[in-house]
Amino acid sequence: MTRSGRLAGAGPVVRRRLLVAVPVLAATSIGMFALGAASPVDPAKQYAGAAAFTASEENLAQLRANWGVDDPLPVQYLRWISNLVQGDLGWSTSRHEPVASVLAARAGWTLLLIGVTLALVLVASLLLGALAAYRRGGVFDRGLRTAAYAVESMPVFWLGLAAIAVFALALGWLPAGGLTDVTATSTSWSDVAHHLILPVGVLAVSQAPWFVLFVRDAVAESLRDDHVLAARARGLPGRTVLFGHALRTALLPFLTLVGTHLPELVGGAVLVETVFSLPGLGAVTVAAALGSDFPLLAAITLVTTAVVLAANLATDLAYAAADPRVRLDG
Amino acid sequence: MADLAARPSPLRIARSRLRLLPGQAGVVTAGLVLVVAVVGSLLAPFVWPLDQSAVALDQTRLAPSWAHLAGTDDLGRDVAHRAVYGLRVSLLVGAVAALVATVLGGVIGGIAGTLGGRVDRILMRIVDTIAAMPHLLLGIFIVAMLRPSLGAVIASVGLTHWLSTARIVRSELLSLRTRPFIDAAIGGGAGRLRVLRRHLLPHVLPRLALATTLMIPHAVWHETALSFLGLGLPPHLASLGNMINDGQGSLLTGAWWASLAPGVVIVVVTLAIAVLAARWRDRLDPRVRAELHL
Amino acid sequence: MTRMRPTFRRLVASTAATGMLVLAGCSAPATPDSATGGATLVVATSDEPDALNPVLNYGVDGASLIFDGLVTRDNDNRLVAGLATALPELSPDGRTVTAKLRDGVQFHDGTALTAQDVVFTYQAVLDPTVDSTLRSDLDMVESVTAPDAATVVFRLRYPYAPFLQRLTLGIVPAKLLAGQDINTAGFNRKPVGTGPYRVESWTPGDRLVLTANERYFGGRPRNDRVVVAFVADDNVRAQRMRAGEFDAAELPPKLASGFDADATYRVQRVPTADYRGVMLPTGNPVLADPAVRRALNLAVDRAAMVSGLLGGAGEPAFGPIPPTSEFADPSIIGKPTADPTAAGTLLDAAGWTPGPGGVRVKDGRPARFTLMYPASDTLRKDLALAVTADAKKIGIEVTPAGLTWDAIDPRMKSDALLMGYGTPYDPDFVSYKLFGSRFAGQGYFNPGSYRSEVTDRALQEGRDQIDPALRKAAYAQFQKQLAGDVPWLFLAYLRHTYVLKSSVRGVAPRVEAHEHGVANSLWWNIDTWTRS
Repeated sequence: MTRSGRLAGAGPVVRRRLLVAVPVLAATSIGMFALGAASPVDPAKQYAGAAAFTASEENLAQLRANWGVDDPLPVQYLRWISNLVQGDLGWSTSRHEPVASVLAARAGWTLLLIGVTLALVLVASLLLGALAAYRRGGVFDRGLRTAAYAVESMPVFWLGLAAIAVFALALGWLPAGGLTDVTATSTSWSDVAHHLILPVGVLAVSQAPWFVLFVRDAVAESLRDDHVLAARARGLPGRTVLFGHALRTALLPFLTLVGTHLPELVGGAVLVETVFSLPGLGAVTVAAALGSDFPLLAAITLVTTAVVLAANLATDLAYAAADPRVRLDG
Repeated sequence: MADLAARPSPLRIARSRLRLLPGQAGVVTAGLVLVVAVVGSLLAPFVWPLDQSAVALDQTRLAPSWAHLAGTDDLGRDVAHRAVYGLRVSLLVGAVAALVATVLGGVIGGIAGTLGGRVDRILMRIVDTIAAMPHLLLGIFIVAMLRPSLGAVIASVGLTHWLSTARIVRSELLSLRTRPFIDAAIGGGAGRLRVLRRHLLPHVLPRLALATTLMIPHAVWHETALSFLGLGLPPHLASLGNMINDGQGSLLTGAWWASLAPGVVIVVVTLAIAVLAARWRDRLDPRVRAELHL
Repeated sequence: MTRMRPTFRRLVASTAATGMLVLAGCSAPATPDSATGGATLVVATSDEPDALNPVLNYGVDGASLIFDGLVTRDNDNRLVAGLATALPELSPDGRTVTAKLRDGVQFHDGTALTAQDVVFTYQAVLDPTVDSTLRSDLDMVESVTAPDAATVVFRLRYPYAPFLQRLTLGIVPAKLLAGQDINTAGFNRKPVGTGPYRVESWTPGDRLVLTANERYFGGRPRNDRVVVAFVADDNVRAQRMRAGEFDAAELPPKLASGFDADATYRVQRVPTADYRGVMLPTGNPVLADPAVRRALNLAVDRAAMVSGLLGGAGEPAFGPIPPTSEFADPSIIGKPTADPTAAGTLLDAAGWTPGPGGVRVKDGRPARFTLMYPASDTLRKDLALAVTADAKKIGIEVTPAGLTWDAIDPRMKSDALLMGYGTPYDPDFVSYKLFGSRFAGQGYFNPGSYRSEVTDRALQEGRDQIDPALRKAAYAQFQKQLAGDVPWLFLAYLRHTYVLKSSVRGVAPRVEAHEHGVANSLWWNIDTWTRS
């Protein structure tokens, strides 16, 4: 079968996935809207922002009329969702600007943080996990597993604070926060890279245990596979067997599972961004939550979900294209 | 943990008495830690009652001493005392949220696993789709809309953590369906419910119980993360997240002890659960393991 | 830098080469090109404005760095001419105010300021479709007109003594906003004013970059650029201050005190009119009893709060007019420490007798109430707990409740609330609405529905009379009445604490208002700051 032939089945798969994803997302949006409507938050006061503290009733009534928040709920929902579908994500009450421009200004930095972290974690965990699996039960394996469990039980924001205390305050090697030097007038990549070392490192370390342990187990298992045993029997050197055969077998299922771990990574990124005061989506999400900013929160949650779903689909399709034995199902 | 046992220590003597295999010492220690944590936090209100809103402005920021084992915080409150209550709250949030998640996941996974076929495929696709929602974002959304409170935190953890339970229950049930003894039971004329009760439940329940236990650390982290972001319990209540959050400022002004005790409590308890889980995960299929985020 | 590994060194070198100053790696705080006077000053605050538009409440009290009002305030908060050539004149009937505009003032885009811009600004505030909450502060304005390009005439519905104080509002260019929806205009993000600094860029959640306005009518700023970093988290802000990133940062008192011992920093504790207190609603059956309110007033240990919670950065408060104000009445000042005995006697006399569990009871009703505080505000949480502890000592059980503002909102009629307010400019400003019965139950104005005819009369008198002596007498009566009625439990006046690098020169603290952030903070005169 040719490669394109294998991917020919992709169309129906995408359709089937959408067939589930769209209703689920729609149901979720209704659920979120219901929760927002049931919430005792007064949207007029949200629109007034901090000024609501001193706004008169008459002022607020005007705000209500301006924003149509007294319309029946189904009307409001339909207005919101149809705007959403048409790309109008609404007006952020906590930031006082369109939700779309909040996302446009910030999503890039979050994506950068997650992307760089993911790349780093993948490379590091493949290396470390394979090495640990090769000498299963050895000192390195035991040490790595202990470290993984220890790190896993530490909250990521704690790691972040510790990293700031050590690397920024005590040693003075790296900046304690921010994305660029605070007096910088333009964004230079070397400056950003310098500022991202700590956040990326902390996020990577906190996410690594899951990846490392998974690779270790998968490689350990595939080291017992027939073709790997055969390669060993042929007298191939250990390194070739490990990286050429065992790791390769374990690699593909691992890569598709990375997609399922993305939501966890997003959560970690929110916390890391808060600790390092990065201008990504994390800080804005927290501010939105504290200000009960429904439009922004709902948009961030739904958009992130859609992105993760798309990423999952992409990895599955890539997996299918790469491995002829895999049949894509629904 | 095994290294500890190599030295002549009370642990070693205990192990020889209990005839434990090497490696089991860690499991026993972890078990003991958990028992102490649970019993301690259950008994705390009777043995060592705490006035959550008490402050002592003449005893602020005292370093650890015999009077205050873990020191006092910015408001003169005993850190060790509050850490015990923080653990209590965290375990409560963890247990109730895990229970909510277990019921939700058990029902959905149970339906998918028992009915199989089309229902199973659709339900699992739905589960996959929901799994693509970042928990923390969804949790933040729920808390923001319900307003930060104990109930909101429990809801936010419970409603976002049932997916792995659903998957475990479902895969366990599906694998059982193909076993000969089930066929035999059905062939013997047993009704669906009876098969479920007599044959399936006894196999599924231990897994379910473990899945619930494993969810507790997640719930504890979730609670601390939300509190850290200022979206958790009301900040004057003793919870581990609130204490770390308060202690963060003290750290900068030299009172390192304020966040030490709650941090250590989190690490020790979650580590204990992780050690127990490690024994179990070795017997699991990697794919299931991954789905459990172990 | 010697401890750095090569990779870090390379990174640092490359960043430094592009002209950006790197603070990491140096044990001494970085001192950028200070000699040239072309320095960039960096200040940090937690408080990011929603919009940089005076019509939408940005920098209403002046010192907004970007805009100017008709009048402005000097080092002692005295009014001086701003965009007006002199302080505007009041007609004998007190209902007409005429302002003459300075010649040759230009907006940042080079267009000339005219009276039409002033008229537009005030009319925008008064426009009901604009979400401006200043409207209620200017409801005495009947009309604003511009008889010629350099004259603005305000016509008032009624005489209003402190009207000139309201003219600090920044003026926006009519040309850029006319015909637009001001609530959502792009101007709010990239504003154009007449002030000492132009907005170069604003990255929400990160920083606001301002550059010197070469044509500023008050003289070109003594520095080239000001960066306002927005760092919401107090601890992170303190860490970044410690790492040398900022020239000045506002920090909570406790965190600021960590910098006291370090000679490279200077801590400024600025007196304010910013008070914290407990609003005691009359709708609560326990708090409705004046004896309970007076007993609480005696029972709270203000001195312990100031030293224990504020790290000494504050003063005990006994009323809404700050001790720095000429209107403050010294007779209302009580004991800064607690007097539980006197409080107990008062409660005994009023029939609140000790009951089960140490909680007093009267007519079967236990002395209990809920004290709400905004959960995100650490200081108010601390104060709420201190009040709770003090009340317990006199047999009153307080349940603290940390909530979000929207949860607090509907409960203010019956549950006590830890509030903060205060402005140093005129006693009328906040108090008229906070304690006037006309505003009872209206949002955050008088949420506890306090009603007193004496207070109402005194407040009205203070607003109507132009003669300072008569105003002073009116406000003395107002303060005495409040001290007796205790609608609020005033606890403390804060000092806003700022940490500065010692090398910063030209700082002139003045009494600050509750609301401060980018505008109206310690850096109100940052255009005259230099680094030595």
